[in-house]
Amino acid sequence: MADESISVVKVRDVLMVTMPADPDDASVSALQMKVLQMMEQYEATGLVLDISAVETLDSFFARTVAETAQMASLMGGRTVIAGMRPSVAITATQLGLTLGSAMTALDVDRALDTLTDAGQRGNSHER
Amino acid sequence: MRASGAIAMNAERAGEVRIHSESDIVATRRTVRTAATQLGFGLTDVTRIVTAASELARNIFLYAGSGIMRWEALDTGGRIGIELTFEDRGPGITDIEQAMEAGYTSGGGLGMGLPGAKRLMDEFEIASEIGKGTIVTAKKWHRRLGDSTS
Repeated sequence: MADESISVVKVRDVLMVTMPADPDDASVSALQMKVLQMMEQYEATGLVLDISAVETLDSFFARTVAETAQMASLMGGRTVIAGMRPSVAITATQLGLTLGSAMTALDVDRALDTLTDAGQRGNSHER
Repeated sequence: MRASGAIAMNAERAGEVRIHSESDIVATRRTVRTAATQLGFGLTDVTRIVTAASELARNIFLYAGSGIMRWEALDTGGRIGIELTFEDRGPGITDIEQAMEAGYTSGGGLGMGLPGAKRLMDEFEIASEIGKGTIVTAKKWHRRLGDSTS
């Protein structure tokens, strides 16, 4: 079975992970381990979980995303979950899902600002 | 594509996915997404229906091991909808009322599969017999005829 690949990019000290649109449970679990290993490998201090491609966030996927954020926090990395689609946010709320205490952002740009304090240095992303 | 009060002539009316493995949860989501979209549901309703289907398919995989998901187009006097049926020959649910309580789980899940799926759908029924199996039937209707924006 072909797993949807995940993209991981490091920008400054932040690891940016793009979640696949519709992964199976095994891929979601494997992704969690991979992300944590890369946190260590790249000595990242921040983690952005980009879920803007995610079309269906069910309870298993949401729990794994929230857990990954908690685990990264235990490793000393701040995590921002970015880019939840409106339809996914509506559905997740009705389903009763929360993402725990993880920080969230509208998009990856703002998530990166939060983690690198660029936002405090003059909102350089605003054009 | 907008629903115009009737299901398109060339649209499929029913389908099924056999659930045997974890990857069949993904197959269920894809089949239901395609079905709900072609029936004219808007993106948010499609997301609700697909998410409910994902929870119910996972329940079958976790608790019964295998089963089947069937979908059917509903078209009753102007109202268009979709009916999802999840059937398994698993152990059955001992206490349906308890299983419908948020947070209750007997199998290591989150305990929001059944109550969550019910909240996302318009109609929801469970029939279960110990040792025989479980049938969950869930329906979603278009909010308004021809409205595909919600």
